[in-house]
Amino acid sequence: MSQLIKGIYYLPKRSEALEAELHVNGDMVSLHYDGQCREVFELSTLTQHITIPGVPIELSFPDSAKFSAQDPDVRLARTGATMESLEKNKTLIVASMVLVPVLMWFMIMVVMPLIAQASVSYLPDVVSQQMGKQAFAIIERTMLEPSETDVEVQNQVKQQWRDTLVALELSPEKYRLHVYGSEFLGPNAFALPDGTVVITDDLLKRLADKPDAILAVLLHEIGHVEHQHSLSMVAQSVSTAVAFAMIFGDIEGVGEILLGTGSTLVQSKFSRNMEQEADDFALNKLDALGKPADAFAQAMESFLALSEGEPDIKLLKYLSSHPDTQARIDKAKGFKPAEK
Amino acid sequence: MDVTDSINNVQQPAVQSTRLAPVEFSGKGGEFFGIWIVNVLLTIVTLGIYSAWAKVRTNQYFYGNTAIEGHRFSYLANPMQILKGRLLAVALFAAYTLSVQFFPVLGLFFVFGMLFLFPWLINQGLRFNLRMSSYRNVRFSFGGSYGEAFMCFIILPIVGALTLYLAMPWVMSKVDEYIHSNVRYGDKQLNVKLQTGEYYVTCILVMVVMMVGFTLLAIVVGGLAATSAAVSPDFGPGMEEFAALMNIGGIVFFFGYILLICIVSALYRARIRNHILNNSEFEQLTSFKSSVEVMPFAVLMLTNTLAIVFSAGLAIPWAKVRQAKFMADATELEIDNNADAVIDTMEEQKASFAEEAAEIFDVDVSLG
Repeated sequence: MSQLIKGIYYLPKRSEALEAELHVNGDMVSLHYDGQCREVFELSTLTQHITIPGVPIELSFPDSAKFSAQDPDVRLARTGATMESLEKNKTLIVASMVLVPVLMWFMIMVVMPLIAQASVSYLPDVVSQQMGKQAFAIIERTMLEPSETDVEVQNQVKQQWRDTLVALELSPEKYRLHVYGSEFLGPNAFALPDGTVVITDDLLKRLADKPDAILAVLLHEIGHVEHQHSLSMVAQSVSTAVAFAMIFGDIEGVGEILLGTGSTLVQSKFSRNMEQEADDFALNKLDALGKPADAFAQAMESFLALSEGEPDIKLLKYLSSHPDTQARIDKAKGFKPAEK
Repeated sequence: MDVTDSINNVQQPAVQSTRLAPVEFSGKGGEFFGIWIVNVLLTIVTLGIYSAWAKVRTNQYFYGNTAIEGHRFSYLANPMQILKGRLLAVALFAAYTLSVQFFPVLGLFFVFGMLFLFPWLINQGLRFNLRMSSYRNVRFSFGGSYGEAFMCFIILPIVGALTLYLAMPWVMSKVDEYIHSNVRYGDKQLNVKLQTGEYYVTCILVMVVMMVGFTLLAIVVGGLAATSAAVSPDFGPGMEEFAALMNIGGIVFFFGYILLICIVSALYRARIRNHILNNSEFEQLTSFKSSVEVMPFAVLMLTNTLAIVFSAGLAIPWAKVRQAKFMADATELEIDNNADAVIDTMEEQKASFAEEAAEIFDVDVSLG
């Protein structure tokens, strides 16, 4: 099988160029320029550059000289199946247009969260402990003030907490409740992965005559720790970030803003899922303790009162880290305990 | 008679010592789409491993379709090098992210350490990128040192910040000067003479456009808010309309913001790219001319962005090809007719870890 390929010959390590021809005959290649045969090579001693559709082939010689073909479509006859053939395959291209979004959705919404959550359970305890400790050090310094709630009230809440831990067979060494004031957080409660739970003065004040509602909130927070939500969130966000970086590489300018927005939307969705899991945990445990699910609804209702008077901007719900408050209340009111 | 003779002599055209050669880009959106979509598919299916091959193939497409006087550029990297680099870079990125999230205090030390690593990463990235680029069988290379890079990328920006950012345009000109004056083509070094004044003028223009732009945007969105207030005098029955108008206001703001970013981006990039290329030359070989116009560039960026958004990303390859063509059309070389052959003096280079790490941490500093 013989081929004649016209192109340009570049001298070794120099920018000098000559019009040349390559005569390919089976295993032998001869190089011609200025009307004469100049050199003969065995095809196997030549390195062919990666072939790309639309780009002419390039061959490098052992002495670092180079030959670049004229015609972008000419290929060496010996070339077998290549990436190129895949990239020009119309069926594959059209199929990819469907496959790619489907696979991406699958990877990001299903596979990676699964991997992230599975890997989280292999993390040694010391990780959650350190994470909680170090995070708390920063939070305490920046957002929390000493509590101004009545000492008696504090003791009551802490007693209820201890009783609950015993009833649910949870470790009191791990789960430690703190009461703090916080102008920054307002009425709020949060849990850290090492079992530290904080409830603020303002929230205690709001739920002053509803101890069961306070319990519901604390159970929700315990739910976060039991399900290792903070760790999952981190594992999941790291893997999404890495995946985006690998697949899309470096897209300049506004593309980055769009990817970031997409990433945020995915994260918010996961956050909402986790909040729902924590809600379910709270509702189930309330039932196990013989408390009415309505206690949870009462707690949520106090949050609803906070957001009253603000316009309901629909698009913002996709950025929300928590499910819609009314939806959570409705769920509590219609709650049926899970089968034991 | 003497006078007319000398006038005639003056009017003889000088012998041309240089010739103009435009940069030609022959890539096509449709052709690249095939390459790109298969790249993405295989990257997802191989959990990212294929991304190294994808990158080499993409670069080879763009390099191989860029030509001057019929000679095409070449991208020489080996996918395995890139893969090794990427795996190491991913490990570094994961370590950084995890430490910042899990051990916030440790994270601080990590961040501090990265400060000292960055100049090295940037240098290695530039070195690798250039080293893998070849034109007419001669490779490019990068000659910057760690010290210079540390000065440019760490010290000077701090100085700039300390002067309340007044010195930032000067810092930016220093950074560009560092990068470009260390570019080598074979045995030739790029000669670069940048004017700080140009950077100041550009930055001032950018700020003016931003202020005008934001004011206009505020007026438009504010007008919508005022309208909505008129529609719902009290927060009662008018809430629906108010919310709807707020939604529309949000969308208008979003698109207005994208438009503003495109214009401001185009303004800076066009002016600075033109300035750098117009003041760069390989002595006794060639000088460069760049004539990117701001508004057409802004329109290009805007249409690309909108296309990408509305095509859910499928327009990305088309947008990239469009941009490459636009840039090539605005670039010319003025080549010395008496130029000698350029000699390739470089040795082989190994891993691309630094380039990959630099890219993942978004410190990829590009040329032109």
